[in-house]
Amino acid sequence: MTPTPASPDKRGTTLINHWQAGVPVTTGPVLTPLLACLMALAAIGFVMAGIRVVSPLGPFSAMNSVYAWGIWKTFNVMTLTALGSGPLALGMAAWVFNRQKLHVVMRTALVSGFLFYATGLIALGFDVGRPWNFYSAFMPWRWNTGSAMLEISICMPLYCAVFLSFEILPLFLERLYYTGNEKARAFLRHVSPRIRKIYPVVIIGAYVIPLMHQSSLGGLLLLAGDKINPLWQSPALPWLYLVTAALCGFAFTIFLLLIVCLRYGRKLDGGVLSELANLLSGMCLLFLTIRAVDLIWRGQIHAAFAFNKMSLLFLLETSLILIPAVALRFRRVRETPRALLNMSALACVGGMLYRFIPTSIAYSPMRSTSYFPSVPELVMAVGYISLGIVAFVFAINYFAVLPGEASTWDHAFRPFGWKRRIAAPTGIPLTPATALERGV
Amino acid sequence: MNILEVSLTRRQAFKAMLGIGGTVASVVLPKSAAASTEEHPAHPIAPPDAVAMLYDSTICTGCKACMPACNEANGLPADTLLSGGIWDMPTGLNAQTKNIIELYQDPKSDEFAFVKKQCMHCLDPACVTGCPFGSLKKVDFGAVTWNSSLCIGCRYCEVACPFEVPQFEWKALNPKIVKCEFCYDQRLKENLEPACTAACPTGAVIFGKRDALLDQAKGRIAAAPDKYYENRVYGEHEAGGTQVLYLSSVSFQKIGLPKLGPTSLGHYATKVTSVIYKWLGGPVLMAGVLGLFIRRNWNRHEAERLLHEKETGFPDQL
Amino acid sequence: MLGTLKPSSTKLETIDERLRQCGISRRSFLVFCTSLMVAAPYGLALTDKASPEAVAAVLGKVVRPPVIWLHFQDCTGCTESLLQTSHPGFADLILNVISLEYHETLMAGSGLQARQALDEAVQKYAGKYILVVEGSIPTGAHGSYMKLAGRPAIDVLADIGGKAAAIIAIGSCASWGGIPSADPDPTGAVGVADLLPDHSIINIPGCPPNPYTMLGVVLQYATDGTFPETDEQRRPKFAFDRDIHEHCPRRAHFDAGNFVKVYGDEGHREGWCLYEMGCKGPDTHAGCSTRHFNEIPDVWPIGIGAPCIGCTEKAVAFKVPMFQVVQLHTIAAPPTSYAPITTTRGTISPLATGLVGLGVGVLATGGYVASRQFSKKQDDESAPGSKPDKGTGA
Repeated sequence: MTPTPASPDKRGTTLINHWQAGVPVTTGPVLTPLLACLMALAAIGFVMAGIRVVSPLGPFSAMNSVYAWGIWKTFNVMTLTALGSGPLALGMAAWVFNRQKLHVVMRTALVSGFLFYATGLIALGFDVGRPWNFYSAFMPWRWNTGSAMLEISICMPLYCAVFLSFEILPLFLERLYYTGNEKARAFLRHVSPRIRKIYPVVIIGAYVIPLMHQSSLGGLLLLAGDKINPLWQSPALPWLYLVTAALCGFAFTIFLLLIVCLRYGRKLDGGVLSELANLLSGMCLLFLTIRAVDLIWRGQIHAAFAFNKMSLLFLLETSLILIPAVALRFRRVRETPRALLNMSALACVGGMLYRFIPTSIAYSPMRSTSYFPSVPELVMAVGYISLGIVAFVFAINYFAVLPGEASTWDHAFRPFGWKRRIAAPTGIPLTPATALERGV
Repeated sequence: MNILEVSLTRRQAFKAMLGIGGTVASVVLPKSAAASTEEHPAHPIAPPDAVAMLYDSTICTGCKACMPACNEANGLPADTLLSGGIWDMPTGLNAQTKNIIELYQDPKSDEFAFVKKQCMHCLDPACVTGCPFGSLKKVDFGAVTWNSSLCIGCRYCEVACPFEVPQFEWKALNPKIVKCEFCYDQRLKENLEPACTAACPTGAVIFGKRDALLDQAKGRIAAAPDKYYENRVYGEHEAGGTQVLYLSSVSFQKIGLPKLGPTSLGHYATKVTSVIYKWLGGPVLMAGVLGLFIRRNWNRHEAERLLHEKETGFPDQL
Repeated sequence: MLGTLKPSSTKLETIDERLRQCGISRRSFLVFCTSLMVAAPYGLALTDKASPEAVAAVLGKVVRPPVIWLHFQDCTGCTESLLQTSHPGFADLILNVISLEYHETLMAGSGLQARQALDEAVQKYAGKYILVVEGSIPTGAHGSYMKLAGRPAIDVLADIGGKAAAIIAIGSCASWGGIPSADPDPTGAVGVADLLPDHSIINIPGCPPNPYTMLGVVLQYATDGTFPETDEQRRPKFAFDRDIHEHCPRRAHFDAGNFVKVYGDEGHREGWCLYEMGCKGPDTHAGCSTRHFNEIPDVWPIGIGAPCIGCTEKAVAFKVPMFQVVQLHTIAAPPTSYAPITTTRGTISPLATGLVGLGVGVLATGGYVASRQFSKKQDDESAPGSKPDKGTGA
């Protein structure tokens, strides 16, 4: 695999180069007007969060005892962490099913996944009514092991704090290596082999645990029983939530890569994107198969085509997943960036809809009550999302996250206020390997 | 100097997997064993000291003596929000109302019925199944009680309960879950009957052992055939059986009692997971299987790594 | 049948003997006993019997208790209330059941004769008589606002009260100061218990109170020397343990929301609840709702359409304006309306809906624009490699 010569940046979205490594974005200013807007939104969300700490949940949000879960739980956690299942989906595909090509985009998936989970867990933290009792999570004798809620409240923070953080660690260490002093580099040379050694063991946990809690997110809804419309309430809920997690993980990674490359004018890799699209299509088909079998088994097909409100919602969500499933079977579609963008967006929305609907729109309890998030709730939800986006933009600018050609890697990380820059001796293209040999 | 790697040997991988699985399992094991299907049987059996309330809607006159009696016994303020401070006038169970009398009235005909709503104290409660740290528990006499030191306020109980009973104190800074507990702390423990059944002047709601009351209810049905809806007692089998039994002359759904099957929600929800997670078997198995594949692929990756680094001139990024 | 008033005898005989002497029928006595039972259905050992005959049997054996009745700053209303009983007539029976040794309104004598009668009675029955006090005692200006035979009222009370077996403060004035103690209170009017806190005192507040309360207490004491259970304000619980609101005959109208809005309106004529007219019933402890006055049903303030002014309560009467509505502090029983089976809760904020719509719109537009960018690049033939080209990737 020889690297193609770097062509001057033509703001093209061409599909000719091969991504070879994670590369930091070094062109253009980091703080753009859009980013400033997002930071403002995040700041407003932060202020709202401060208010939420000192105010009871009732007047602040629009939740009531009939609709006890608002958008923080149902959207930021149950829906957005599906988009954040990139590490799970890509990780399993790369490390378990040996799709080696996906290693280059692992970092993008990891960072976005970590941020979705982190912001989702922050949202969860602000959503619980009695957080001071959460220390029971560290006392296993108090655990009610039959409860899906317990599973989530233990596994998700554990996953995010331990496993995802571990998987992200190399980013920081790498930056430290190239921008730090000699002592830091010596320390890293000492520590790196150990990290490499335990890496394959840690990622076992990094895949088993999200398998558990993503399916438990679906398991949560089992206890709601008949309150959820029979089109969605089924014993297959955990499986379907798991498949949509994988589905959304792939779809969002594709979407994110395309958007980011468009934004920063980078080249696309047809092979990797095609691979991802293939896997996405497979997941969509798997989802549709399980859904269809489940509906037939439970005798709900007639309800699916009754063309009332619920049925139309079901058909919408299904078609949003069916279209990518079918379209991405065609190579031409897989290789057209625009089509890829649209299809992955459809799949994302479809997967999110599937996860969101049974918690809210198809959730019809006995007492007829309406729920729509209040403005403070929305502000905080948007604040979390903005925070995630801002953090992601900073991450791709200051760390080697985005995939690119190895030849465009100039390991000149943007300084965090450090002025040090590893200068290349004239004439010789400085690659990281040569830099190492030179002991720079 | 170079970041060289030793590939993971089979023994090392095995040890690691056992280590992870063993640690987690050993911590969770004692409780894990209990989370078997036996904890949520398809048809729950009432505990031997199970008490119950029998409410006969045809005897209830709607005097609502049970409401102030409940408020007084439980130290709850009257819900005077809608009456401008004068009357206790809740529109449903809420954070100040553990027990309420509701009226069903058919606008077209003369049909009407009163119904008393409070916690049903199910034999296999969905709220208890869902509560992550066991704050809601079924204690002696079968009463379902809430423990403030374990509750994290996740409100899963509100989502799980098919009768929509638990009420979260939305307006409080120290929010509790408010629901009928059969006056457990104040009266049941001193062998007194709950305040509402003691206050009822007509005997519309009575207290006693579940078996005895069930027999009594069936006796009433037998003595007056076709008086009671479908000639059956609501709560005998609903959601696996409850410890509040209802007799009504109008349809149960009309008085707001949901249509439920005979299996408990806990059983339905834990049917599959209790098998998969028994002794953490599923996750450990999955970890083992994944571990095998990961180890193999990792070794392949490591084998190619040095070659790859030379070709691209770039160290392998994890 | 009016009997002749016999002068008080030199020794105290039992009630039975006295009634026989005066020719008062047993029937009247039984009616009296019945009235007592109605007045004190519980909380009074004397009336805690199965039938009026049983009460009569006990009461008949009781030696007539000597009673000295002192007036201080009063309006004599409490005496009037006692006088207005008709079953039995005051003169007929009551004067023969108790031995009223001194009563300024009722006694025949006056001047020096009256003073002598008082001194004699106090001396003769020292330690045995019951002192009934009517009216508040002025403490202002060294007690010179009222003098009884030249002596300041405070001293008289201390003297005669000191020798009494027990003191019954009848009426709000004697209990806590009453009308004279209302703002600006120039005389410094106080009740008996404020001046003689260590004595055995029973307060029977009211303006005026029901006379049977006093009779029940006095006769109980005469029967076995005990007083009925009292609350922390020394009021007998059998008469003062409930508030007017709890047993008000118009309670159903309160519960149904039928309120009088203006005196003389339709509701007033229909006998609706007077809560909104400032009725102090919920804040007032007294038995008036169940025992009306003058033995005629509905002869009591609310019964005739006047809101209760809380005359027994120191914190309410002559302090809180009559038109001011009180706070309900006991657990309010629910009204006659019922909660429906299904309630619609929750509101949808239009602002929130708008924001969500806006957000969705922005995202959708952004997505469309982005997707257009992709095809724009692709259509641009001049850019190298704008056509998709498969690499040699693995």
